[in-house]
Amino acid sequence: MKAFFLILLLPLCAAMAQDAPVAEEVPSDISARSLALELAGAFTNDGYRLRDGFWPGEIESGRPRYLEVNLFAGNEYWFCAAATPPARKLSVSVFDAAGKPVEFQSYGDGGSAAAGFEPEFSGKYFLKLDLLEGEKSPFCLIYAYK
Amino acid sequence: MTRTAHVFFLISAAAAFAGISAHGSMTKEELASVEKLDAVTIPMPGEFFTAMGKVGQPAWGQHLRSGSPGLTDSRSMIALGLGTLVADGYVAVEAQDGQAIKNIGKEILALAKKLNVSQSVLGRSNSIADFADNNDWNALREELEATQNEVKLDMVDQKDDRLVTLVSLGAWIRGVDLVSGMVSAEYSPEGAKLLRQPAIIEYLLSQIDGLPEAARNQVPLLEIRTALAASLPLVEPEVPSAEQVAQLHTSMKGLFDLINGSAPTP
Repeated sequence: MKAFFLILLLPLCAAMAQDAPVAEEVPSDISARSLALELAGAFTNDGYRLRDGFWPGEIESGRPRYLEVNLFAGNEYWFCAAATPPARKLSVSVFDAAGKPVEFQSYGDGGSAAAGFEPEFSGKYFLKLDLLEGEKSPFCLIYAYK
Repeated sequence: MTRTAHVFFLISAAAAFAGISAHGSMTKEELASVEKLDAVTIPMPGEFFTAMGKVGQPAWGQHLRSGSPGLTDSRSMIALGLGTLVADGYVAVEAQDGQAIKNIGKEILALAKKLNVSQSVLGRSNSIADFADNNDWNALREELEATQNEVKLDMVDQKDDRLVTLVSLGAWIRGVDLVSGMVSAEYSPEGAKLLRQPAIIEYLLSQIDGLPEAARNQVPLLEIRTALAASLPLVEPEVPSAEQVAQLHTSMKGLFDLINGSAPTP
């Protein structure tokens, strides 16, 4: 329930970040990080801890990017990503070490997206970042855990 | 928050999409394209300890570090020691011991100075002291990781990339040493499950193998590589056995002592 409430909060955070004037004054990769941080920041009020490390890069439609993460059983994770315009719709999904899909909570709002996951087993998992609509854009992914 | 923002929030909340999702399996080509990034792929000790805190009620105060890393001029050993200190910083945070974390912050700064990467750490060290005074434990967790990341960035700037691997290595060894010790002392399958991290060992081994030959053939690294490779089968089962956890702890404790000068270098 708490997670669902957090999901409801996310669009506001993303919208506020997109309205921020700083977005046009800084390089777009930094803007993407700001947006991702705003998205992930919604979780910190619920006891989630933010990782300082982040995954920056460029994403284009039809060419998803994949990243390995190593997670601990019992922890709860939210993987939050954002891409700046001309990206229009982003998605984050989670796969196990064999590349099979796992069940996760999904959130998407335009250029921002997140996946919530609680692994049953510790070990390697893969994140898939996909640009569903829009042109090649800078992105940033960070994650929070508790 | 303004009234307008409140209204916008309500509209946005109603429009939000949330649900449980699953997709098709990844193809061989997609599996081959997976990227690894030290700053995200390798978890921080804090994540490890958070998971351990859910399994039992560790007496973190009993695991606070005693003593400093041994004196050495070896940059490799200093980088490894710095990594272990970061892990110990998380232990101090879990123990909510402000003085211990301030001491660790000072030791990190001292080692960073030896590696000529202290400029960025200086500010972080002050922040660590401030957050410790204010008992802001969550901020301290983030600050510890930020400190480690800034040290690594400075190392890259100075074209000392190999040291980045060693900082991560030191932190991981200390984290596993502590958690395997706790699980070994009071075995439970839930605790043992946390140690199942073969991909991290494989990643660290590949990073060591990528170092220049002279660096990876130095005695401490040679021994660390051998011990890590021998530990791999111990952390492959979904639930490592009590015997496997005990073996892992013996191995990681030995490496921690080696890094910190408590064990004789062969």
